[in-house]
Amino acid sequence: MATTRTSNEMQVPARTTSRRGFAWHRLIEGATPYLLIAPLIFLISVFVYWPLFYSTYLSFFDWNFVRPDKAFVGWDNYTRLLDDPRFARALHGTWIYFVALIPIQVFLPLGLAMLLWPIRRAKSQASYRIMLFSPTVIAWSVGAVMWLWIFNPLQGLLNKLLAEFGVERINWLSDRDTAIWTVIVVAAWKTLGFHLILYLAALEAVPHDYVEAAALDGANNWQIMWTIRFPLITPTFFFVLVTTVISVNEDVFGAINVLTQGGPFGSTTNIVYYLYEQGFQYFQIGAASAVSVILFLATVLLTWVQFRFVERHVHYG
Amino acid sequence: MNRTNRRKFAGSAAGIAAAMAAGMPSARAASERFAAPAVIARQDGPVEVVFSNIWGTPPGGDEPENEHPVELLIDAFNEQSTDVKVTGRNEGGGYYEGLQKLQAELAAGNPPALCITPWNSINWADEGLGIVNLEEVAGDEVAEVFSVLREQVVPLVQVDGLTKGVPFAFSTPVVYYNADILAEAGVDAETLFSSWTGFAEEAPKVQEAIDGNPVFGFLGDMQWTAQSLIQNNGGFVMNDDLRPVMNSPEAIAAMETIAALDREGLYDRSTASERRASFTAGSTACWIGSIASLGGLRTNVTFDLQTSTFPPFLDKPRNMSSGGSFIGMYAREEEQQQAAWEFLKFALSEEGYAIWMQTGYLNATTFDLPTLEGQEAAYTQLEEGLTRETPWPGARGGELLQIWQDYVARIWANDISAEDGCNEAVEEINAVIG
Repeated sequence: MATTRTSNEMQVPARTTSRRGFAWHRLIEGATPYLLIAPLIFLISVFVYWPLFYSTYLSFFDWNFVRPDKAFVGWDNYTRLLDDPRFARALHGTWIYFVALIPIQVFLPLGLAMLLWPIRRAKSQASYRIMLFSPTVIAWSVGAVMWLWIFNPLQGLLNKLLAEFGVERINWLSDRDTAIWTVIVVAAWKTLGFHLILYLAALEAVPHDYVEAAALDGANNWQIMWTIRFPLITPTFFFVLVTTVISVNEDVFGAINVLTQGGPFGSTTNIVYYLYEQGFQYFQIGAASAVSVILFLATVLLTWVQFRFVERHVHYG
Repeated sequence: MNRTNRRKFAGSAAGIAAAMAAGMPSARAASERFAAPAVIARQDGPVEVVFSNIWGTPPGGDEPENEHPVELLIDAFNEQSTDVKVTGRNEGGGYYEGLQKLQAELAAGNPPALCITPWNSINWADEGLGIVNLEEVAGDEVAEVFSVLREQVVPLVQVDGLTKGVPFAFSTPVVYYNADILAEAGVDAETLFSSWTGFAEEAPKVQEAIDGNPVFGFLGDMQWTAQSLIQNNGGFVMNDDLRPVMNSPEAIAAMETIAALDREGLYDRSTASERRASFTAGSTACWIGSIASLGGLRTNVTFDLQTSTFPPFLDKPRNMSSGGSFIGMYAREEEQQQAAWEFLKFALSEEGYAIWMQTGYLNATTFDLPTLEGQEAAYTQLEEGLTRETPWPGARGGELLQIWQDYVARIWANDISAEDGCNEAVEEINAVIG
């Protein structure tokens, strides 16, 4: 390759480089990012987009993966959902979990992180973090055994404690009025720690200069927290909000599955558990696929709404 | 975050959304246990077949005395067979987890040769999973091998005159009770369980002895015991045309019996696992469940555990339902089918069945085999004649079962009246059947 010598002796491509050599260089340079992300794109295509398209396709068939014949049923798998009272109950449960768990999973860890932040140098800080984060890494099956004993109506710790105050026995998991709230408590216990760690990491990353400047201007701790730190962690807050809205009903699936299996009388079920029942207990793959398509569209819509209306309040720095 | 980064984040979020929505939670629900391959390729040795079941030696229970009888049965067969080798595969969890995995393996063209299949799923296994008719594999030999079975057992595994499997795990619901509590309450078990009327009269005395706790609860599969309850009162859950008839006056009256006991605070309406835990801990006095639970309960309780026959209705004969599962054949290759049939024959031999009987399940054969202490109540019911567990019809049978299960729970917990619940159940089930 022809080169020209610069004053500091570095070699750079000459303007007279052949057109063909220049094109190869540009091509390789331009293709490199795509080559680097190609493996990821391939994996996402195989494990996310292909199942998505295939689920959509299957939602128009009556099939169980085994029978050689797939019967095309058009929109039947969708219309039958409208007539299914269990689907209506699942939607109702989905809404309850949504309304109850999003504040618990988004705002409660934020509040806890702000409370823990001032004592970040204290020796007890590590204990708090371990205590609050450990439920996240405990398997559902293990955690469930503990909770089942706590909530047991006859021998459970909770009812024994309440009995000391004269409270009558409560069937926490088998009473229609209490079961869903019990599941919510357990789901919150399981997921709280992860978001707490995210918020603490975000608070750690806030530039100290801003805080010092505010302190010099006479701002107190409360003002610094709400006018300096919180705005600067809003990208993390927005991330937690978006991912929680996407996953809240799947997060609660584990609690439903191990504690109530959707009961009593369908009062703790949600759309993800309904999907699981249709697909893997009743083997109605077409109906399950129809539910997954509806769930996907609702999730995309909710995500779009957040980007359209919430993101404008995020300070990206 | 600049605009480009925001776009990346938006893309990631959309990707996550797609993954969440499109990825059904199968991965979470799937068993994490190591599982042997469904069909082991034959080399020069014996034909190897896999028997998928829900039993097996528990983790850490490597000692021979802890081995489950199903493992002992497989070991005994493998010792005497040179042409066939059976590998047991414990799915854990339960029947549905086993069927779930079976379906996935069928879809992949690699099913286990044999799989435990619950009685109530026989129609679905036939219509949806292509279970192999044993006559296609063994012809007239099936009748010969099945001649050792009790007469009333054979029809339980037949659909349209064709045999869909080997009756194996054979059970019926009985009453387990804490004899210590009854003694403390001064209540005679025979009087208590003589009829539901007798139970309603005597149970409050038992309740006093356990600090006002509920007296009795059922196993998780309540629709199974509801079937017996209804039949004992002269009704049925489904008729011969497989249409729901659980809204007959007899059925409604039977269902109302438990609802009335619930209103007195005698019925334990907590979750299935809680009900069993409460009984084993001595907080409740009775638990109505499968006779197959006898062995497990014995090892878990410290009180005097006794069994009784299911309380009948006054002046009406008892007509209990059978339950459990049969061994279905799902092998697609002839060599595998023949090898699996060899194992099934051994399972129904006197030697094989004697090993299996250590489980606590009932003896479905005419072999004179020793029974376990406590099984007498179940054998009394067997002698009286058992009705087949409701074979829920069609490819949506599992859904129908769950619909009825939900209504049973609601009626017994007084969440809905027996009449309304039974009528609504019929309506909902008919809507699904079409």
